[in-house]
Amino acid sequence: MSIVKQIISNADEELRYPTPGELEMIRSFCKTGASQIQLAKTLESHAPTIVERGTRKFWQICPRTPSNSGSPRKTEAAQRDMSWYIRLISYCLLAGNDQPLREIGLLGMKELYTNIGIPLDNILQYLRCLKAEAIALLSEAEAEAIIPYFDQIIQELVRPGPSYFGIKDRSVSQSASQSARQAAA
Amino acid sequence: MQDAITTLINTSDAQGKYLDDSSLDTLQEYFRSGDLRARAAMTISANASTIVTKTVAKSLLYTDITGPGGNMYTCRRYAACIRDMDFFLRYGTYAMLAGDASILDERVLNGLKETYNSLGVPVGATIRAVQAMKEVVNDMLGAEAGKEVGHYFDHICSGLS
Repeated sequence: MSIVKQIISNADEELRYPTPGELEMIRSFCKTGASQIQLAKTLESHAPTIVERGTRKFWQICPRTPSNSGSPRKTEAAQRDMSWYIRLISYCLLAGNDQPLREIGLLGMKELYTNIGIPLDNILQYLRCLKAEAIALLSEAEAEAIIPYFDQIIQELVRPGPSYFGIKDRSVSQSASQSARQAAA
Repeated sequence: MQDAITTLINTSDAQGKYLDDSSLDTLQEYFRSGDLRARAAMTISANASTIVTKTVAKSLLYTDITGPGGNMYTCRRYAACIRDMDFFLRYGTYAMLAGDASILDERVLNGLKETYNSLGVPVGATIRAVQAMKEVVNDMLGAEAGKEVGHYFDHICSGLS
């Protein structure tokens, strides 16, 4: 999951040692380790504020949403999910790559929210609000390291095309629409 | 397989928590030794065949095992032996880079002892050879890095015995 694990897995796949270039990647990542830890701590300390302010902003833009429906349980769950995404970003800072976010948070994300009936567009707006609050709270250098991960989550939601588990479903719905057309003909 | 970083992240994620101070200290320690580990891996990879040659010379070559009736007699079996030594060295290096022995457990040691026993490969001689490899690598890398790698050669030995 970390950059180190990724490099070792790639090398083992080809029955070889990591290349000098790969070892250099490990070295330079470890060199930035102390500052990555600092970044993760900073993000953690800002996380409650980012979620709280981001939620308020989101409700202004998008008042008709489950988290703002008067159910404390839904509000809590939504804020919890958002704070989880921030936590996953802190893992990425320490792992040196985006895999913790992808493996834990992005694979199956669309299916999950679709399944529980939350419009993906609302999640998208919510994350954009969090991103804006994060930018406001972080220094420029901190934002430079952290914000790309917010963008990655946002990209996951706006990216067109089949989702991770969607390929099979899509063929099912295609054949369903085909048979519907045949029935109409 | 796991590495030092992934293990810490997974443990924290299972609790839904950020990495706590003691995890971050462990991580910091791993980052601090990153340069040492990467340099050691560089040296090992550049000298892998030399290390294996020296290891075999030190532990196996001049014993009965290479003569008729020994388990390294016939070129084919000799070749199989140095291939395995190559594997031990490469996976030991991976584990050292990862700061975690799980890759050895999963990809080397899992079923190895049983395989060796069923093929009649003497486990005692194998352990002697891995210990010799540990010494050869230690001489080449120096004490600090040698100790780091040596830990994982010991892990292979304890997995075989």
